[in-house]
Amino acid sequence: MTGVKVSQASSIFDPALLSRCISCGFCLPACPTYGLTGDEASSPRGRITLMRALESGTLPPDDPTLAEQSSFCLGCRACEPVCPAGVQYGELLEQWRGYQWAGRGRPLVVRLLLIVADRAWPHRIAGRLRRAARTPASASGSGPGPWLMLGCFERSLFPGVSKSALALAPELAAPDRQGCCGALHAHNGEPERGRQLAGQLGAQLPGKIVTTSGGCAAYLAAVIGRDRVTELSEYLRDKSFGEVRIGERRARVALQDSCHLRNGLGVWREPRALLSAVAEYVELPGAGRCCGAAGTYALVRPRDSRRVLDPKLDEIEAAGIDYVVAVNPGCLRQLRQGLRRRKSKVRAVHIADLLRQASG
Amino acid sequence: MPDSTRIPQPVLDGLRAIAGPENLRLAQGELAVYARDATPLFSGRPDAVVAPADTGQVARILRLATEHRIPVIPRGAGSNLCAGTVPLTGGIVLSTVRMNRILEVAPEEMLARAQTGVTTQALNAAAAACGLFYPPDPGSHTVSTIGGNVATCAGGLRGLKYGVTRNYVLGLTVALPTGEIIRTGGRLWKDVAGYDLTRLITGSEGTLGVITEVTVALLPDPSTSRTGLAYFGSLAEAGRAVSAILAAGVIPSTLEFLDRSCMDAVEQYAHLGLHPDAGALLLFGDDGDEAAVARSFERIAAACADCGAIAVQTAGDITESEALLTARRCTLPALSRLGSLTILEDASVPRPRLAEMVARIGTIADRHQVTIATFGHAGDGNLHPTCVLESAADTEGIARAEKAFADIFRTAIELGGTITGEHGVGAAKLPYLTERLGAEQSDLIRRIKTAFDPAGILNPGKLGS
Repeated sequence: MTGVKVSQASSIFDPALLSRCISCGFCLPACPTYGLTGDEASSPRGRITLMRALESGTLPPDDPTLAEQSSFCLGCRACEPVCPAGVQYGELLEQWRGYQWAGRGRPLVVRLLLIVADRAWPHRIAGRLRRAARTPASASGSGPGPWLMLGCFERSLFPGVSKSALALAPELAAPDRQGCCGALHAHNGEPERGRQLAGQLGAQLPGKIVTTSGGCAAYLAAVIGRDRVTELSEYLRDKSFGEVRIGERRARVALQDSCHLRNGLGVWREPRALLSAVAEYVELPGAGRCCGAAGTYALVRPRDSRRVLDPKLDEIEAAGIDYVVAVNPGCLRQLRQGLRRRKSKVRAVHIADLLRQASG
Repeated sequence: MPDSTRIPQPVLDGLRAIAGPENLRLAQGELAVYARDATPLFSGRPDAVVAPADTGQVARILRLATEHRIPVIPRGAGSNLCAGTVPLTGGIVLSTVRMNRILEVAPEEMLARAQTGVTTQALNAAAAACGLFYPPDPGSHTVSTIGGNVATCAGGLRGLKYGVTRNYVLGLTVALPTGEIIRTGGRLWKDVAGYDLTRLITGSEGTLGVITEVTVALLPDPSTSRTGLAYFGSLAEAGRAVSAILAAGVIPSTLEFLDRSCMDAVEQYAHLGLHPDAGALLLFGDDGDEAAVARSFERIAAACADCGAIAVQTAGDITESEALLTARRCTLPALSRLGSLTILEDASVPRPRLAEMVARIGTIADRHQVTIATFGHAGDGNLHPTCVLESAADTEGIARAEKAFADIFRTAIELGGTITGEHGVGAAKLPYLTERLGAEQSDLIRRIKTAFDPAGILNPGKLGS
């Protein structure tokens, strides 16, 4: 474990970040968990109060509410764009989990996932199994880019996504040997390790990196710089595509935003513009709200994850759409499973796959 | 789990029985988050937090608390700026979050009835769905609850033309500290049966009873509303423009001003492309039928030009208007970008004294060597001078700020104004209240408080204490 042992409670948070919140409460309506409970403790403002209590020692480090709330938070960062004070809540949560989830505090499933993501061999095996589309520079990882980042879980769960991305943008180089972007680590109690991995990936793929995962895009951009990271729908924004048809008519599609892509990078217009160009676009009322996948959340807190997801599934089914489109593998998995459970006719697809249909 | 709280076991058992165990919070971490509201420098951890479901439960909780002499602090969204919901001496925080249903919108009577925990924005949305609107719009309307708005008699950006919360409250259901339930007013526009308890309880800041249900008057939704900006060299010039606009016979729905520091903070958050050099900004808006709005905009623009405006712009469409208003509402939190401790005040003066008040705030800031950024509801003479400090650890700076604010309050009173226009007294302004009201009125207020709350359990350390 590379989790940093914090000996003194006074060094958990960056004081400049922690002092920013003035407790105005403007974040409350944006927070999905506050929406579930109505309890101040599960709001961003309340959680910052808890962080401050931990930092100042007015709550003991083993206080059960600290453990519960640091885990109950989805980490969706919906509180950030609505915060006039500019509180960097996502950063604070990383620091908080770095403390709460150090060592034994970390949920077992998270420990397992980090072990997998931390090692190169599972990705290599996954890479071989999925028979990645080869590009000239793919083996070495040298060259100017732009590079397609394969994503450590996406390449095993949804190998077709990178294939579609490469079909849409054949100029991208996609070397097989590339590590994890570190987002998983950063969001699950290992912020230092996360930064280290992001740095390594940035060095492996020098130049512009294109990703099919909103979550990876936001994290990687935060570490190696926004100018070096482009999410796929941003990258494709000037390309033109055909249409996605269902029989005689245009397909009806809706988007589920990736929280970190929307709240962290401010990218939400681009996927909408692409979808509107290839199909009949329907805006779901809660498109910008978290689907409950939230990285490891769906595994760590499956019941809460479903409570967050359920109203969204209602919206999706009520919208009369053919496809709900995701821009992040976690959301795709979450939506697919939810819709399958309900035996819904609506299909969840990644934007790369949908656009490929439109161009094929 | 043992209950590690100062509240006696029979009361805990009672709270559980009344509201259900799942709606009672007792763990230290769960309580810590209710120690404060949006007011800096005030905090106090409660001993319990309970979230009742209806008026009956609220009344039973209050009766129990009075029997056992335990403080009860009613709390809506905790977005108030007067430390009105801080449990200064511990006790039970009574959260209204579960009472969040809109009970009725009656277009033929032009009124709405809602439970106390409904947000101002949700109430307004329900009214809008029937072609009506609820005019009071405090800056925190997306979060604040209607019960909290009534309890503080919240103001907002439309005060000049439409008045404030008290002008719209028709009736209240209130649970008294002694456990009785009263219904004041009702659905009537005319009703003089008895003392006007509706008005007394409006603005009573949770010290006389707990408001559980509210009936408010609505107005027809105006067909057109527009917003514009005028830039000036200084806030005092903008203040003079306010007088000129009103003298021209226009009553705009919104007339707000921001000084340069506030403009910078807002620009950092909202990226509106505000004028880079102007010393102050005047945000104006009007609503009504299209021709009337166009006429008032012409007169406003002319008055601004006469007062030396650097530039006058009008927003192109609704989205742009809304962006301007949203940015204005965010001024206070955005100011914390300049320093993490923002202490804001709420002095109000008669409109003709506005420019003078602004100038004197500048002098006071210089005298006490503090940074004061000022914004406010210029049309109402209501100012929010805000002292920006590096951090809450700057005790010496805080002491200077407190001296500056004492001077500001005194100046406001001297100019015929008041210590708080719309935020309320709470714990924050209580020390200055007698100065504003005089000893006789303060005594009367205490007697009224005792009549409602003989055991003194409701929101102690605030109004009436």
